[in-house]
Amino acid sequence: MVRNLLIAGVVLTTVFAIACASPEAPTATPMPATSTPIPPTVALQPTATSEPTEEPSSVAPTATAIAEATAEAKAQATASAEETATAMQQAAEEEEEEIDFDPRRGGVFRLLGSDPTTLDPALTTDSTSYDIVLEIFGGLMRLTDDPNEPIVLDLAESFTVSSDGTVYRFVLREGIEFSDGSPVTASDFKWSWERAALPDTGSPIVKEFLGDIVGINDIVDGNATSADGITVIDDQTLEVKIDRPKPYFIAKLTYPVTFVVNQENIETGGELWTDNPIGTGPFVLKSYEIGVSLVLERNEKYWDTQAYLDEVQFNLAGGSAMAMYENDELDITGIPTSAYERVTDPNEPISREVVDVPPAFVTSYIGFNVEEPPFDDVHFRRALNHAVNKELIAEAVLQNRVRPAYGPIPPGFIGFNPDLEPLGFDVEKAVEELNMSKYADPDSRPRIVLTAPGTGGSPPTWLQAVADMWARNLGVEIEFQEVEWATFLEEVDNYRLQAFRLAWSPDYPDPHTFVDVLFRSDSTINQTQYSNAEVDALLDEATTEPDPAKRIQLYQQAEQIIVDEASWLPMWWGAEGKILVKSHVNDFRLPPLGGYFFKDVWLDKEVDF
Amino acid sequence: MLIYMSRRLLWTPVLMFVAGLFVFWLASCTPGDPAELMAGQRADPEAIERIRDRLGLNDPFMVQYTRYIADALKGDFGESYRYRGRDVLELLGPKLRVSLELNIVSYVVTLAIGLPLGFWTAMRQGTWKDPTTTTFMLLVYAMPVFFTAPFLILVFASWLDWIPVSGWSGMFSTQAILPAFTLGVPGAFVFMRFMRASTLDVLGQEYVRTAHGKGMGQMTVNRRHIARNALLPIITILGFSLAGLFGGSLVVELIYGIPGVSRLLLEAVFQRDYPVIMGMTLLGATMLAIANMVADIMYSVIDPRIRLRA
Repeated sequence: MVRNLLIAGVVLTTVFAIACASPEAPTATPMPATSTPIPPTVALQPTATSEPTEEPSSVAPTATAIAEATAEAKAQATASAEETATAMQQAAEEEEEEIDFDPRRGGVFRLLGSDPTTLDPALTTDSTSYDIVLEIFGGLMRLTDDPNEPIVLDLAESFTVSSDGTVYRFVLREGIEFSDGSPVTASDFKWSWERAALPDTGSPIVKEFLGDIVGINDIVDGNATSADGITVIDDQTLEVKIDRPKPYFIAKLTYPVTFVVNQENIETGGELWTDNPIGTGPFVLKSYEIGVSLVLERNEKYWDTQAYLDEVQFNLAGGSAMAMYENDELDITGIPTSAYERVTDPNEPISREVVDVPPAFVTSYIGFNVEEPPFDDVHFRRALNHAVNKELIAEAVLQNRVRPAYGPIPPGFIGFNPDLEPLGFDVEKAVEELNMSKYADPDSRPRIVLTAPGTGGSPPTWLQAVADMWARNLGVEIEFQEVEWATFLEEVDNYRLQAFRLAWSPDYPDPHTFVDVLFRSDSTINQTQYSNAEVDALLDEATTEPDPAKRIQLYQQAEQIIVDEASWLPMWWGAEGKILVKSHVNDFRLPPLGGYFFKDVWLDKEVDF
Repeated sequence: MLIYMSRRLLWTPVLMFVAGLFVFWLASCTPGDPAELMAGQRADPEAIERIRDRLGLNDPFMVQYTRYIADALKGDFGESYRYRGRDVLELLGPKLRVSLELNIVSYVVTLAIGLPLGFWTAMRQGTWKDPTTTTFMLLVYAMPVFFTAPFLILVFASWLDWIPVSGWSGMFSTQAILPAFTLGVPGAFVFMRFMRASTLDVLGQEYVRTAHGKGMGQMTVNRRHIARNALLPIITILGFSLAGLFGGSLVVELIYGIPGVSRLLLEAVFQRDYPVIMGMTLLGATMLAIANMVADIMYSVIDPRIRLRA
């Protein structure tokens, strides 16, 4: 969703947009959805590191992750069935002791944030909302930040898949409760999913995430109110039938629109039910005042290990992040460009609080509208690809804070192909391709405008460097245009832009979220209008291929063709950044797929001297 | 006087209608679609269309505006697009209060510095004190807020650690001090200049010489004859500058993390949250009208020679 767009994703926007806002004022005001395209600059500059990044191949692609997830699920199913009951009892008995004795428990964690667009899981599409919804609500599966095991069971204790791959049977954990103490049953899931699909709910993404389930699309289109594909076997067992075997279906169940909500909560709360949301996440919403603060407190009914923190306080009013941090008004913050040198100076005590952020899964690129001349010529697009020395720009302009990208799927993500053949920097090839194109003669070329979202006025330096390389190596001159996010979105959705700068980050750990949704001919967000029958066929095959290794191969094959046909000029993968974290904060992580995982955070308590 | 006030107030809805029409028209011309923004980047076109329908964005312009005004007259300013289900007035109310408070304290600072200083420099015309003060105040005036604010934070919050860096807990809290000075002091220059000019004007008047001639003490002349008369023209600019202050508080609100209306409005513009923009336009127009009226009334109170005619 929009979080996809966010360049340094989730991480950098929410926490740090404000950090950068301080001196430069209004442009970087935290605006969840809108500000998302700005982060390229935001993300790269303030949280930059000057350390060279590792080679892409360092993280092994977890090709078989889904299989593992499934296998693990099955293993757990058998193992934990009887274990759970006893474990639950024990947990209940131990709980009180734990409260008294765990020294990690307690404390308030404070950070800057911005107003979530919504707290309704069904409507969540932007990273700001996503990060908070993930703390309050939960679903059958959840994400981890372990690249070897990106998906684990959440409220589901186990699941099985029928041999034809279309029927999923989920067994819920025993004794799970909503934050108000009412039990969570299989019918709650059925209700939640059908409710998400109702036209009145107005979820913009329900088709994408739940539309695979038989009958859901009929509800969205207003032709039904219940989905035949969802069957409640008993309180603890849910059976879901999807239209075709889609191994990535399970990965989608980590996205908020699939989370379980409380029927009574929504029916009595009206449109503003999210003022008192009842969910199954590790935290509950304590208070929310628009533009002022949002406070989460521990959910005492959480089924898994409870959060250590008493509260998480988001300051939504903004302010000078660095000054607030140094004045002990915040526990974490991003590092504004202006403070970067001082903060990273090893002689400054504050440098001990600088923490590296692992690269987020995000691919930043320049998109070419393949229906618009001169980008309708594949040779011309290839020429532009070959003419750019990304390595040099990354080093000279961006101080190696990013790593050059060669395809859509970033390293570390399932399906990443270390052997992908890129359209690397090669001036000779570039000129050759240009001469093969029908735009070899400069007079035959239409005016080229490259549009970037933003309000800064002038394009980022790296983009100017790209234009310079095109001009010098090929004699191709372009013009820049910067438009603010709302306008950009409208233009790009209506294919009115010739060339544009954008970024994409995944919604769920499966290559589908990169390759399929961006490049399939009939995808609604294929903004370059790229279309290739062979790619479509491969993607179609990959969608239903049950063998995980084979699936990945199909995606990689498709990716190679996509790269060769150059509807993108892939620019950067991720952005390794640094943030400031107070030394009393432990286990604070920023997972590459988004969220905060506040439940693992704990604070050193004050010690009497 | 009452008739005058009611006449002025009756004009307010007309003003609101015209200002509202203008903003509504501007909004309809602006590129960017609120439904698209609400749906996010991945939403399929059908979903966007459903949202447009729900918001009534597919109706013709005049239908939308008439519907809006009809509701607004009933006190219903609609629901925010961005904060779904949230009433615009409910949303603006608390923010407006904070911004008002901020502007009032800043205004107090402006006047408390500007007026006495203007008077003081006028009385010392021809000495080195006058140009020095004026130059210094000009410098302060010329400094951009995004410089002074971080500077003040650095000195008073970070180094001296006297005052918290951010937040707002009412106009009488210590948190209000820095923003009030940041916002108020530059404006003091304008008032100082006006006050100085108008004091010099009064100084040359016959009645001042007469007062001195009658053997009145310097303090009495200063207070009763000079200051009082010199203040008269100042009142006129009060109304306008009060309205102007509102626009200036955006940067201050952002830097000090004050949950005021400017930020909400800025966000509303980027998000194409038309109901919020409209609501703020109408409220703003009303406040401007009231501020002007108050200025007129004050004028007549201070100068009995002026009568307000309906």
